[in-house]
Amino acid sequence: MSIVAKVIAQSDEANRFLSSAELSKLQEFFGNGTVRISASQKLAANEQKIVDEGSKRFWAQCPNTPSNSGNPQKTALCQRDQGWYIRLVSYCVLAGNSKPLEDIGLEGMRDMYVSLGVPLANLKLAMKCLKEVAMGNLSAEEGALAAPYFDQLIRAF
Amino acid sequence: MQDTITAVINPADEKGNYLEGAELDALNKYFQSGTLRVKAAGQIGDSAASIISETVAKSLLYGDITLPGGNMYPTRRYAACLRDLTYFLRYATYAMLAADASILDERVLNGLRETYGSLGVPIEPTIQAVQTMKEVVTQRVGADAGQEMDVYLDHIISGLS
Repeated sequence: MSIVAKVIAQSDEANRFLSSAELSKLQEFFGNGTVRISASQKLAANEQKIVDEGSKRFWAQCPNTPSNSGNPQKTALCQRDQGWYIRLVSYCVLAGNSKPLEDIGLEGMRDMYVSLGVPLANLKLAMKCLKEVAMGNLSAEEGALAAPYFDQLIRAF
Repeated sequence: MQDTITAVINPADEKGNYLEGAELDALNKYFQSGTLRVKAAGQIGDSAASIISETVAKSLLYGDITLPGGNMYPTRRYAACLRDLTYFLRYATYAMLAADASILDERVLNGLRETYGSLGVPIEPTIQAVQTMKEVVTQRVGADAGQEMDVYLDHIISGLS
Protein backbone atom coordinates (compact mmCIF):
# COMPACT_ATOMS: atom_id res chain seq x y z
CA MET A 1 0.00 0.00 0.00
CA SER A 2 1.23 3.48 -0.83
CA ILE A 3 0.69 6.75 0.98
CA VAL A 4 -1.93 7.56 -1.67
CA ALA A 5 -3.91 4.40 -0.94
CA LYS A 6 -3.54 4.96 2.79
CA VAL A 7 -4.91 8.49 2.68
CA ILE A 8 -7.78 7.39 0.45
CA ALA A 9 -8.67 4.51 2.77
CA GLN A 10 -8.67 6.96 5.68
CA SER A 11 -11.07 9.31 3.89
CA ASP A 12 -13.25 6.46 2.75
CA GLU A 13 -13.50 5.18 6.30
CA ALA A 14 -14.84 8.61 7.32
CA ASN A 15 -17.13 8.85 4.29
CA ARG A 16 -15.66 12.08 3.00
CA PHE A 17 -13.50 13.67 0.37
CA LEU A 18 -9.84 14.19 1.27
CA SER A 19 -9.14 16.84 3.88
CA SER A 20 -6.83 19.73 3.06
CA ALA A 21 -4.20 18.26 5.41
CA GLU A 22 -4.35 14.97 3.51
CA LEU A 23 -4.16 16.75 0.18
CA SER A 24 -1.07 18.70 1.21
CA LYS A 25 0.54 15.48 2.42
CA LEU A 26 0.01 13.99 -1.02
CA GLN A 27 1.21 17.18 -2.68
CA GLU A 28 4.44 16.90 -0.71
CA PHE A 29 4.79 13.25 -1.71
CA PHE A 30 4.31 13.97 -5.41
CA GLY A 31 6.54 17.05 -5.15
CA ASN A 32 9.65 15.03 -4.35
CA GLY A 33 8.87 12.20 -6.77
CA THR A 34 12.05 12.78 -8.73
CA VAL A 35 14.14 12.36 -5.58
CA ARG A 36 12.24 9.20 -4.69
CA ILE A 37 13.03 7.75 -8.06
CA SER A 38 16.72 8.64 -7.97
CA ALA A 39 17.04 7.28 -4.41
CA SER A 40 15.52 3.96 -5.43
CA GLN A 41 17.77 3.76 -8.50
CA LYS A 42 20.87 4.35 -6.38
CA LEU A 43 19.84 1.71 -3.85
CA ALA A 44 19.34 -0.74 -6.71
CA ALA A 45 22.62 0.08 -8.41
CA ASN A 46 24.62 -0.08 -5.18
CA GLU A 47 22.94 -3.00 -3.46
CA GLN A 48 25.91 -5.32 -3.73
CA LYS A 49 28.33 -2.65 -2.63
CA ILE A 50 26.17 -1.69 0.34
CA VAL A 51 25.86 -5.30 1.42
CA ASP A 52 29.59 -6.00 1.05
CA GLU A 53 30.73 -2.87 2.82
CA GLY A 54 27.97 -3.24 5.44
CA SER A 55 29.10 -6.81 6.17
CA LYS A 56 32.70 -5.68 6.67
CA ARG A 57 31.62 -3.06 9.17
CA PHE A 58 29.29 -5.52 10.85
CA TRP A 59 31.90 -8.28 11.20
CA ALA A 60 34.40 -5.79 12.58
CA GLN A 61 32.02 -5.11 15.45
CA CYS A 62 30.51 -8.58 15.73
CA PRO A 63 32.88 -11.25 14.45
CA ASN A 64 31.07 -14.18 16.06
CA THR A 65 27.98 -14.42 13.87
CA PRO A 66 26.57 -16.99 11.39
CA SER A 67 27.43 -14.92 8.31
CA ASN A 68 31.06 -14.78 9.47
CA SER A 69 31.30 -18.41 10.58
CA GLY A 70 33.35 -19.56 7.60
CA ASN A 71 30.39 -21.33 6.00
CA PRO A 72 30.03 -19.65 2.60
CA GLN A 73 26.46 -20.87 2.22
CA LYS A 74 25.44 -19.13 5.43
CA THR A 75 27.27 -15.97 4.43
CA ALA A 76 25.54 -15.95 1.05
CA LEU A 77 22.08 -16.46 2.59
CA CYS A 78 22.56 -13.72 5.16
CA GLN A 79 23.81 -11.29 2.58
CA ARG A 80 21.01 -12.19 0.23
CA ASP A 81 18.49 -11.31 2.94
CA GLN A 82 20.27 -8.02 3.58
CA GLY A 83 20.01 -7.22 -0.12
CA TRP A 84 16.31 -7.99 0.03
CA TYR A 85 15.85 -5.53 2.86
CA ILE A 86 17.53 -2.82 0.80
CA ARG A 87 15.09 -3.62 -2.01
CA LEU A 88 12.14 -3.33 0.38
CA VAL A 89 13.41 0.04 1.58
CA SER A 90 13.53 1.15 -2.07
CA TYR A 91 9.88 0.10 -2.48
CA CYS A 92 8.96 2.14 0.62
CA VAL A 93 10.75 5.21 -0.69
CA LEU A 94 8.70 4.98 -3.90
CA ALA A 95 5.44 4.24 -2.07
CA GLY A 96 5.98 6.94 0.57
CA ASN A 97 4.86 4.39 3.09
CA SER A 98 6.33 1.60 5.20
CA LYS A 99 3.71 -0.98 4.24
CA PRO A 100 5.88 -2.78 1.66
CA LEU A 101 8.57 -3.34 4.30
CA GLU A 102 6.04 -4.43 6.92
CA ASP A 103 4.01 -6.73 4.69
CA ILE A 104 6.90 -8.34 2.85
CA GLY A 105 9.76 -8.30 5.32
CA LEU A 106 8.69 -7.69 8.90
CA GLU A 107 5.58 -9.74 9.47
CA GLY A 108 6.80 -13.07 10.83
CA MET A 109 10.45 -11.99 10.52
CA ARG A 110 11.30 -12.63 14.19
CA ASP A 111 9.84 -16.12 14.15
CA MET A 112 11.77 -16.92 11.01
CA TYR A 113 15.18 -15.82 12.27
CA VAL A 114 14.63 -17.39 15.70
CA SER A 115 13.84 -20.66 13.98
CA LEU A 116 16.94 -20.27 11.80
CA GLY A 117 19.05 -19.65 14.89
CA VAL A 118 20.19 -16.21 13.72
CA PRO A 119 20.56 -13.88 16.72
CA LEU A 120 18.26 -10.87 16.30
CA ALA A 121 20.68 -8.59 18.14
CA ASN A 122 23.35 -9.36 15.54
CA LEU A 123 20.93 -8.67 12.72
CA LYS A 124 20.03 -5.37 14.28
CA LEU A 125 23.67 -4.37 14.20
CA ALA A 126 24.00 -5.63 10.62
CA MET A 127 21.02 -3.46 9.58
CA LYS A 128 22.57 -0.43 11.27
CA CYS A 129 25.72 -1.00 9.22
CA LEU A 130 23.66 -1.32 6.03
CA LYS A 131 21.97 1.96 6.81
CA GLU A 132 25.29 3.74 7.37
CA VAL A 133 26.72 2.54 4.09
CA ALA A 134 23.50 3.20 2.18
CA MET A 135 23.34 6.77 3.47
CA GLY A 136 26.84 7.34 2.15
CA ASN A 137 25.60 6.39 -1.31
CA LEU A 138 22.64 8.79 -1.30
CA SER A 139 22.40 12.57 -1.43
CA ALA A 140 21.15 14.30 1.71
CA GLU A 141 17.69 14.68 0.18
CA GLU A 142 17.52 11.06 -0.94
CA GLY A 143 18.90 9.90 2.40
CA ALA A 144 16.22 11.80 4.29
CA LEU A 145 13.55 9.90 2.36
CA ALA A 146 15.15 6.48 2.92
CA ALA A 147 16.38 6.84 6.51
CA PRO A 148 12.99 6.41 8.26
CA TYR A 149 12.52 2.99 6.64
CA PHE A 150 16.01 1.83 7.60
CA ASP A 151 15.28 3.06 11.13
CA GLN A 152 12.03 1.14 11.23
CA LEU A 153 13.90 -1.93 10.04
CA ILE A 154 16.53 -1.52 12.77
CA ARG A 155 13.84 -1.04 15.42
CA ALA A 156 12.05 -4.18 14.26
CA PHE A 157 15.11 -6.27 15.08
CA MET B 1 -7.44 -1.41 -2.57
CA GLN B 2 -4.82 -1.33 -5.28
CA ASP B 3 -3.21 1.90 -6.39
CA THR B 4 -0.90 2.68 -9.23
CA ILE B 5 2.24 2.45 -7.06
CA THR B 6 1.53 -0.89 -5.41
CA ALA B 7 0.34 -2.19 -8.76
CA VAL B 8 3.94 -1.83 -9.89
CA ILE B 9 5.65 -2.89 -6.66
CA ASN B 10 3.79 -6.15 -6.07
CA PRO B 11 4.73 -7.93 -9.31
CA ALA B 12 8.33 -6.69 -9.00
CA ASP B 13 8.52 -8.18 -5.52
CA GLU B 14 7.17 -11.49 -6.81
CA LYS B 15 10.30 -11.64 -8.94
CA GLY B 16 12.62 -10.14 -6.34
CA ASN B 17 13.33 -7.18 -8.63
CA TYR B 18 13.93 -3.54 -8.03
CA LEU B 19 11.69 -1.24 -10.03
CA GLU B 20 13.44 -0.20 -13.21
CA GLY B 21 12.96 1.04 -16.77
CA ALA B 22 9.33 1.14 -17.80
CA GLU B 23 8.10 0.70 -14.22
CA LEU B 24 10.01 3.72 -13.00
CA ASP B 25 8.90 5.68 -16.06
CA ALA B 26 5.29 4.90 -15.19
CA LEU B 27 5.81 6.02 -11.60
CA ASN B 28 7.62 9.13 -12.71
CA LYS B 29 4.72 10.03 -14.99
CA TYR B 30 2.32 9.46 -12.12
CA PHE B 31 4.37 11.59 -9.72
CA GLN B 32 4.55 14.36 -12.34
CA SER B 33 0.77 14.33 -12.69
CA GLY B 34 0.34 14.40 -8.91
CA THR B 35 -0.09 18.14 -8.56
CA LEU B 36 -2.87 18.16 -11.14
CA ARG B 37 -4.61 15.28 -9.37
CA VAL B 38 -4.31 16.77 -5.89
CA LYS B 39 -5.56 20.16 -7.05
CA ALA B 40 -8.55 18.63 -8.82
CA ALA B 41 -9.40 16.45 -5.81
CA GLY B 42 -9.42 19.57 -3.64
CA GLN B 43 -11.64 21.49 -6.03
CA ILE B 44 -14.07 18.62 -6.38
CA GLY B 45 -14.21 18.01 -2.63
CA ASP B 46 -14.85 21.68 -1.95
CA SER B 47 -17.70 21.93 -4.41
CA ALA B 48 -19.14 18.41 -4.34
CA ALA B 49 -22.62 19.49 -3.26
CA SER B 50 -22.90 22.08 -6.00
CA ILE B 51 -21.49 19.67 -8.61
CA ILE B 52 -24.23 17.23 -7.70
CA SER B 53 -26.99 19.89 -7.74
CA GLU B 54 -25.88 21.10 -11.13
CA THR B 55 -25.61 17.56 -12.47
CA VAL B 56 -29.15 16.78 -11.38
CA ALA B 57 -30.46 20.10 -12.71
CA LYS B 58 -28.94 19.39 -16.12
CA SER B 59 -29.86 15.74 -16.41
CA LEU B 60 -32.78 14.58 -14.30
CA LEU B 61 -34.63 17.41 -12.60
CA TYR B 62 -37.00 18.38 -15.39
CA GLY B 63 -37.82 14.88 -16.57
CA ASP B 64 -40.64 12.52 -15.61
CA ILE B 65 -38.34 10.82 -13.12
CA THR B 66 -39.00 13.49 -10.46
CA LEU B 67 -42.80 13.32 -10.88
CA PRO B 68 -45.16 11.01 -8.97
CA GLY B 69 -44.51 7.51 -10.25
CA GLY B 70 -40.92 8.42 -11.18
CA ASN B 71 -37.87 7.03 -9.45
CA MET B 72 -36.84 10.32 -7.86
CA TYR B 73 -40.28 10.71 -6.25
CA PRO B 74 -40.94 11.04 -3.32
CA THR B 75 -38.29 13.10 -1.53
CA ARG B 76 -36.80 10.02 0.11
CA ARG B 77 -35.89 8.64 -3.29
CA TYR B 78 -34.68 12.02 -4.53
CA ALA B 79 -32.30 12.13 -1.56
CA ALA B 80 -31.15 8.55 -2.26
CA CYS B 81 -30.31 9.59 -5.80
CA LEU B 82 -28.27 12.56 -4.55
CA ARG B 83 -26.47 10.26 -2.14
CA ASP B 84 -25.58 7.76 -4.85
CA LEU B 85 -24.37 10.43 -7.25
CA THR B 86 -22.21 11.82 -4.46
CA TYR B 87 -20.75 8.33 -3.93
CA PHE B 88 -19.95 8.11 -7.62
CA LEU B 89 -18.23 11.48 -7.53
CA ARG B 90 -16.28 10.68 -4.37
CA TYR B 91 -15.05 7.27 -5.49
CA ALA B 92 -14.20 8.53 -8.97
CA THR B 93 -12.14 11.23 -7.26
CA TYR B 94 -10.34 8.62 -5.13
CA ALA B 95 -9.64 6.55 -8.25
CA MET B 96 -8.38 9.62 -10.11
CA LEU B 97 -5.96 10.37 -7.25
CA ALA B 98 -4.77 6.78 -7.17
CA ALA B 99 -4.76 6.59 -10.98
CA ASP B 100 -6.31 3.17 -10.53
CA ALA B 101 -9.93 2.09 -10.91
CA SER B 102 -9.85 -0.80 -8.47
CA ILE B 103 -11.40 1.16 -5.61
CA LEU B 104 -14.40 1.87 -7.82
CA ASP B 105 -14.83 -1.81 -8.58
CA GLU B 106 -14.44 -2.85 -4.96
CA ARG B 107 -16.56 -0.20 -3.27
CA VAL B 108 -19.10 0.87 -5.84
CA LEU B 109 -19.52 -1.25 -8.93
CA ASN B 110 -19.36 -4.74 -7.50
CA GLY B 111 -22.99 -5.87 -7.49
CA LEU B 112 -24.34 -2.37 -8.17
CA ARG B 113 -26.26 -3.34 -11.31
CA GLU B 114 -27.94 -6.18 -9.42
CA THR B 115 -28.74 -3.92 -6.46
CA TYR B 116 -30.24 -1.28 -8.73
CA GLY B 117 -32.17 -4.02 -10.53
CA SER B 118 -33.69 -5.34 -7.34
CA LEU B 119 -34.51 -1.82 -6.10
CA GLY B 120 -36.01 -0.84 -9.44
CA VAL B 121 -33.53 1.99 -9.99
CA PRO B 122 -33.45 2.68 -13.74
CA ILE B 123 -29.98 2.35 -15.26
CA GLU B 124 -30.49 4.61 -18.28
CA PRO B 125 -31.12 7.88 -16.36
CA THR B 126 -28.32 6.99 -13.94
CA ILE B 127 -25.89 6.75 -16.84
CA GLN B 128 -27.26 9.98 -18.26
CA ALA B 129 -26.57 11.69 -14.92
CA VAL B 130 -22.99 10.40 -14.79
CA GLN B 131 -22.45 11.61 -18.37
CA THR B 132 -23.62 15.05 -17.30
CA MET B 133 -21.42 14.87 -14.21
CA LYS B 134 -18.42 14.55 -16.53
CA GLU B 135 -19.25 17.90 -18.15
CA VAL B 136 -19.94 19.62 -14.84
CA VAL B 137 -16.71 18.33 -13.30
CA THR B 138 -14.65 19.39 -16.32
CA GLN B 139 -16.08 22.91 -16.07
CA ARG B 140 -14.91 23.06 -12.46
CA VAL B 141 -11.45 21.51 -12.75
CA GLY B 142 -10.42 22.33 -16.31
CA ALA B 143 -9.80 20.18 -19.37
CA ASP B 144 -6.68 18.27 -18.24
CA ALA B 145 -7.98 17.16 -14.87
CA GLY B 146 -11.42 16.72 -16.42
CA GLN B 147 -9.97 14.19 -18.79
CA GLU B 148 -8.54 12.23 -15.86
CA MET B 149 -11.90 12.27 -14.09
CA ASP B 150 -13.60 11.17 -17.31
CA VAL B 151 -11.59 7.94 -17.22
CA TYR B 152 -13.15 6.95 -13.91
CA LEU B 153 -16.63 8.34 -14.50
CA ASP B 154 -16.62 6.39 -17.78
CA HIS B 155 -15.55 3.36 -15.77
CA ILE B 156 -18.72 3.77 -13.68
CA ILE B 157 -20.79 4.08 -16.85
CA SER B 158 -19.36 0.90 -18.33
CA GLY B 159 -19.85 -0.86 -15.00
CA LEU B 160 -23.51 0.11 -15.06
CA SER B 161 -24.07 -0.74 -18.72
